[in-house]
Amino acid sequence: MSRDYWRLSLGLLLGVALAWPVAAQDWAWALPSHVPAPRVPEDNPMSAVKVELGRRLFYDPRLSAGGNRSCASCHQQERAFTDAKALSEGGTGQLTHRNAPGLANSAWNATYNWAAPAVVTLERQMEIPLFGDDPIEMGVNDGNRQQILERLRAEPLYPPLFQQAFADQAQPLNMGSVIKAIAAFQRSIVSVDSRYDRYLQGRATLSAAEQRGMTLFFGERAECHHCHGSFNFNDQVVHAKSRVVETLFHNTGLYNIDGAGGFPFPNRGLYESTGKPQDMGAFRAPSLRNVEVTGPYLHDGSLATLEQVIDVYSDGGRVIGRGPHQGDGRLNPYKSGLIARIDFSAQEKQDLLAFLKSLTDQSLLKDPRFSDPWKHQR
Amino acid sequence: MRSLPISLALITVACLAGCATQPPAAAPEQPVSLSFALVAGEQLVRCGSAFGPVGRDQKKVSLRDARFYVQDVTLIDDSGKPVPLRLQLNDWQDAQMALLDFEDGSGQCVGGTPATNTQVTGSVPAGHYRGVSLTLGVAQSLNHTSTELQGAPLDLAAMGWSWQAGRKFIKLEVDPEGGVGKADGSRANTWYLHLGSTGCTGNPVTGDTVACLRANRIPLRLEGFDPATQAVALDVASLFRDSRLAVDEGAALGCMSGPTDPECVAVFKRLGLSLSSGLPLEPGYCPAFSARPKP
Repeated sequence: MSRDYWRLSLGLLLGVALAWPVAAQDWAWALPSHVPAPRVPEDNPMSAVKVELGRRLFYDPRLSAGGNRSCASCHQQERAFTDAKALSEGGTGQLTHRNAPGLANSAWNATYNWAAPAVVTLERQMEIPLFGDDPIEMGVNDGNRQQILERLRAEPLYPPLFQQAFADQAQPLNMGSVIKAIAAFQRSIVSVDSRYDRYLQGRATLSAAEQRGMTLFFGERAECHHCHGSFNFNDQVVHAKSRVVETLFHNTGLYNIDGAGGFPFPNRGLYESTGKPQDMGAFRAPSLRNVEVTGPYLHDGSLATLEQVIDVYSDGGRVIGRGPHQGDGRLNPYKSGLIARIDFSAQEKQDLLAFLKSLTDQSLLKDPRFSDPWKHQR
Repeated sequence: MRSLPISLALITVACLAGCATQPPAAAPEQPVSLSFALVAGEQLVRCGSAFGPVGRDQKKVSLRDARFYVQDVTLIDDSGKPVPLRLQLNDWQDAQMALLDFEDGSGQCVGGTPATNTQVTGSVPAGHYRGVSLTLGVAQSLNHTSTELQGAPLDLAAMGWSWQAGRKFIKLEVDPEGGVGKADGSRANTWYLHLGSTGCTGNPVTGDTVACLRANRIPLRLEGFDPATQAVALDVASLFRDSRLAVDEGAALGCMSGPTDPECVAVFKRLGLSLSSGLPLEPGYCPAFSARPKP
């Protein structure tokens, strides 16, 4: 009783505290000069109260059918919003088809998931974990949607937060608002404070090894920068002033199960959607920011360490010696022309690894703005 | 009061301009109720009782789900002119779309909705009509809206198809007796048919889904159709005539519109669609749909 009263009071206080800045059009992106402001959908403007609501929903297992999964189950802050697993377990125990991607700087993604050219906003992306049934992740469906919304309504903190975040709606506590609020929180997860960013701003130095690794990374021998060369270390970036965005997908020679370039179903990349032979095994290049803490790697989590990833790129693809996925990915006919045998020396591999580790943003991993808001309260 | 003569003058002018050519007052509206049926040959198909045998391998099957969207519902008058049906607005239809739903959530129809809908209702100007045409699918302008922001009947998560930021046009799922054997040696319960636009691409600058490589919408035209006595029937036996339901040779279980999915080859032919282009093979003709006496 007294706990409920306390929560209610906290909610009201929070409401009052947060309502003021909303009125003042309170959202500002604090970004260094080498980072453009992200695109924000017109129908989902940022506000502090919406981000706060989104953060609470992001960390709330009541949003899943079984009450046993939240967004944070697979997107953990200390791992740059990944989960250290090759594939993640949904609410009913089914495994996802692909590796949980990090969420930092997802505001700038041009497309989402690993190879989904149709999915170009965080709002639409969220329908996949919420409603997807192959596999079931959060398990929301037409039968339980209202019941789940009732659960949220019963939490004293939520009704005022929804009211303030979506003041233009008469009945704001609906799944559309849930999606918008979580998307706003995800957009707020910005990671631009790595040692590399500080180095760019003249606020930190990189070691000799890191600098050699950086030269390799941006050079024409390793060619990492072709697909990981943007401020976000990927090659699909949309921002507030973008006019045209190319959405590139790449086959990096990871499989060749039939000698004809085949990747295993249902992980054939862009091909799953287009059916074009040349799209076989083509995936979105992920951001390499915080890559030190986002393993296992690749679309299917099939490489455990960053060292292994560097080895595969050094070899110009991956050879799988036995098992159902046996094949020489280096000879995949659909492999990107940018993936060639580089034959890094042991020293070069160490240098590249050192540079990649300079992309870790320690503040992201601990920033209280992105942490579980229920933890201290419960 | 001063304005009265002016108004009269305006009316006179308006009449001079228009009265002579204006048709007589709009014809009275005639209500239309267009029935749909889900059948397997002569059997009526519903949740909770096995039907068949169907398929090239003649399997007894149980229904798991059966829903589809129709748009552009039109009656064809005696002169052959198409007259669009003005759709009644309710939970099953908006001004453009209607959802037909044959599952009631019972039996093996898990995850379904209790209510069913086997009719499209609306009105046309009174007259004589001798045919019906419609398109199976959701219009491009509505297909890529969110189920959580769009009103009924486009608000069902089950009909969402998030990987294409779109919708399933047809969701027909059956559980064959003995299950479905997969290429990797494992077994599954359900043979899925999910029809929808594929190869869709969004525009990251606007956030909109702009184009799909394969529309996969099916135009259907039934001549000599009498809404009073006949129903538009989806015949599952006809649809699966050339499909093996106990076997899946690869890609998605059954056919989820994948252009290289082996199971889509036979079923797309029976839907009257080109698997590679997503265009109708013979516009207006879809072998799996036909006119039947109302059940």
